[in-house]
Formats: sequence, C-alpha cells, structure tokens
Amino acid sequence: MLQWGHALGRYRYMACNRDYLNESQLPRIQSKLAIIAVLALLAVIAIEPFAVRSQTVGTLEPRFGQTLVKLHQSETAGATSSEVAELVALLNKALELDGEAVKLNAPDQTQKRADLRAQVDQMLTTVENRAADLTVVASQRSYTNKVLTYVGGAIAAVLGTIAYAFIVAFYQKYRVKRTFQMRVTRK
Amino acid sequence: MSFMSSQNRRTLIVIFITLLIVCQMVAYVATTPRPREQFFQLYVLGAKHMAADYYPNNDTDIRLGEPVTWYLGVTDNMGSVQLVSILVKIGNQTIKPPDDQQALESPAPVVTQFMRFIQDNETWETPFAWSISDAVSSGNATHILTLQINNETYQIQDCSASNGHNFRIIFELWTWQTDANAFEFGWTAGGEHRVAWLQVWFNMTSPRLA
Repeated sequence: MLQWGHALGRYRYMACNRDYLNESQLPRIQSKLAIIAVLALLAVIAIEPFAVRSQTVGTLEPRFGQTLVKLHQSETAGATSSEVAELVALLNKALELDGEAVKLNAPDQTQKRADLRAQVDQMLTTVENRAADLTVVASQRSYTNKVLTYVGGAIAAVLGTIAYAFIVAFYQKYRVKRTFQMRVTRK
Repeated sequence: MSFMSSQNRRTLIVIFITLLIVCQMVAYVATTPRPREQFFQLYVLGAKHMAADYYPNNDTDIRLGEPVTWYLGVTDNMGSVQLVSILVKIGNQTIKPPDDQQALESPAPVVTQFMRFIQDNETWETPFAWSISDAVSSGNATHILTLQINNETYQIQDCSASNGHNFRIIFELWTWQTDANAFEFGWTAGGEHRVAWLQVWFNMTSPRLA
C-alpha cells in the first residue's frame, strides 16, 4: 500500500512538472498511468465484496420479526419507552415459551408443544394489536404535541412583540418625563 | 395601535416576524429527533460481576465438572427495540475467529444461543454458568464432548485441542434484520456494518482417558 502511494505521488510530481519532460517521456507516463488504472480496477474487482451472511437461527418464527416491525412503527410514531416496555416484556415471555416448545421433541410431548405454540401465537397477536393501537395513539399525540409546539412558538412571538411595544412605550414616556423634569440653569 | 407612528408599526412588524422565525426554529429543533450514533455493547464479566476472575482460583485450566460463572451483557443503543441473539461457540487455537473487516462469523460450532428483545438504552444481562461435563483424551488431542451451560447439557461436535491447551468460547452478537427477516452477525448503522464478538480462552488438561 505504501509503495502504491509512493508511486502515485511520484507520478503526480511528474505531472505537475510536465513542462520539464521531453516528448518521448510523455507517452511512457501515459502508458504507465494506464497500467496503474488497470491494476487498480483489477484490485477493486479482486477484493472480496463486503459480505454479510444472514441466517435464521433456531426455529424462530418470522412472526417475531413481523411483531418487531409493528413495534418499530409504534416507536417511530412516538410511543414512550414505558409504553413499549410492556410489549417488550410480553415478547420476551413469548420467546421463553417458544424456547420451551423447541425443547419438547419427544413424541408424547407433541400436544404440549402445540399448546405452547398456540400460546406464543396468541401472545404475538396481542402484542401486534396493542402495538397497532399504540401507533395510532402515539402518532396522534405526537401530531398534537408538534402543533402545540409550533402554535406555542407563534404565541411566544406575539407576546414578545407586545412586550417589546410596551417596553418601548414605557421608555419613551420615561424619556419625555425626564425631559420635562430638566431644569435650565444659567451659567 | 393608533397611538403608534407608522415607523413604529413597521419596527413592530419586523420584530414580530423575526421573533416568529426564531420561535419556529426553536420549535422545529425541539420536535425533530436528533440523529445519534447507533451501536450495541457486548460484554462478559467474571464471577464477581467485574472484568476479572474469569476462572476459578485464577487458573485458566478448567477441570472436569468445575463450575465457571460469567455474566453476558448486551446494551442496545440503536434507538429502537431490537431482537438480539448471542451465539455461543466453542473453538480451539486453529479455528478462525470472527472477521471484523468482512463481518463474517467464526466457523466454530454453535453450542447454544441466548435471544432477547431489548429496548433502547436497556442493558440485558444473563448469567452464563458453565462446566465441562465430559472430555476425553486420545493421543495428544483432548476432545470436549459435552458442556453444561445454565443446567442444560450440550453435545459438542468435533472440538479438540492439542494437549487440551487453548480452547476458547466465542460469543457473537447477532441481530434481527427486519428487512432480511433473518438474524445477521452484527448490525447495520449509518450505512456501515459492524460486529461485536468476544472470546475467552481456557485449557482443559485433565480429561478422562478414552
């Protein structure tokens, strides 16, 4: 890497001082630059692309992912952490039950596993419904807060202007009063 | 406002407009969430909840059945609820660790995983009490056959080390990617993919004979 930088620096130097190069040197530099460009292109192609492997771990149902999306929507809408905490606790409970269901592999445990899965499904549905309700409430609340903040800003501007007008009026009165209180003395 | 001159009125209008612009800018700043750095923290603490005492009697040589207690923790600073999974892997000296540059996980075998939904700014910590419940020696190699983690026994496939030296437990942080609908090693924030992983080395020089 250092060598490349050095080489490029040398060419840059030569390019800056090309007035000092004769005509036979110029095509040589151009061909070397072309070789460097080709090599750089090959290096870019050869570098292994930034690969992030994704995999599904365990038997996690995509339902958990869907529920997480709903939760993200609630948060984006402005749901508070305490509102979300309740749903997160339910989701973690569902995760625990799902983990228990995964461990039930024996043939005689099929019914229990199905019951646990149904319970998990029910919990996820509950979380999704609550998250949807929360999204509506939070977005309304956020909108109201936003409107109130902007209206508050306008009211503050009006109050500031009135305050300014009163201060100026009082100051002018004070100046008039002071002017009439002035005494003229002969020196 | 009849008591005012037209010049005063103009001044007032200018002041009102200036104040209005300033106040609306303040309102915009107050209502717009500020962008912040998004990241996770992953840590392993020793038996006394400190970054020390990882081994019983400070001896890196773990004996058969000897209980070791650590604490695994993850902090979510992503600005939203995240589903995380800590993958526990076991390896030896020669196995590749995770690749930070290319965000590739270690090829070491997965022993178990811990999953959890974590809120923004929340730290989730879980005990990691483990012991080597079975290991055999064949020739110069020591094979760990079963590990006991949090009172659950896990069969280990193909994990051996020369003379029982330099085994390691690798912890990888995986996060659920909603767009890919799958777990991915690390997380993406600000168009950049980052990973978090830890490893703790240990020896197992007292296996049973095969």
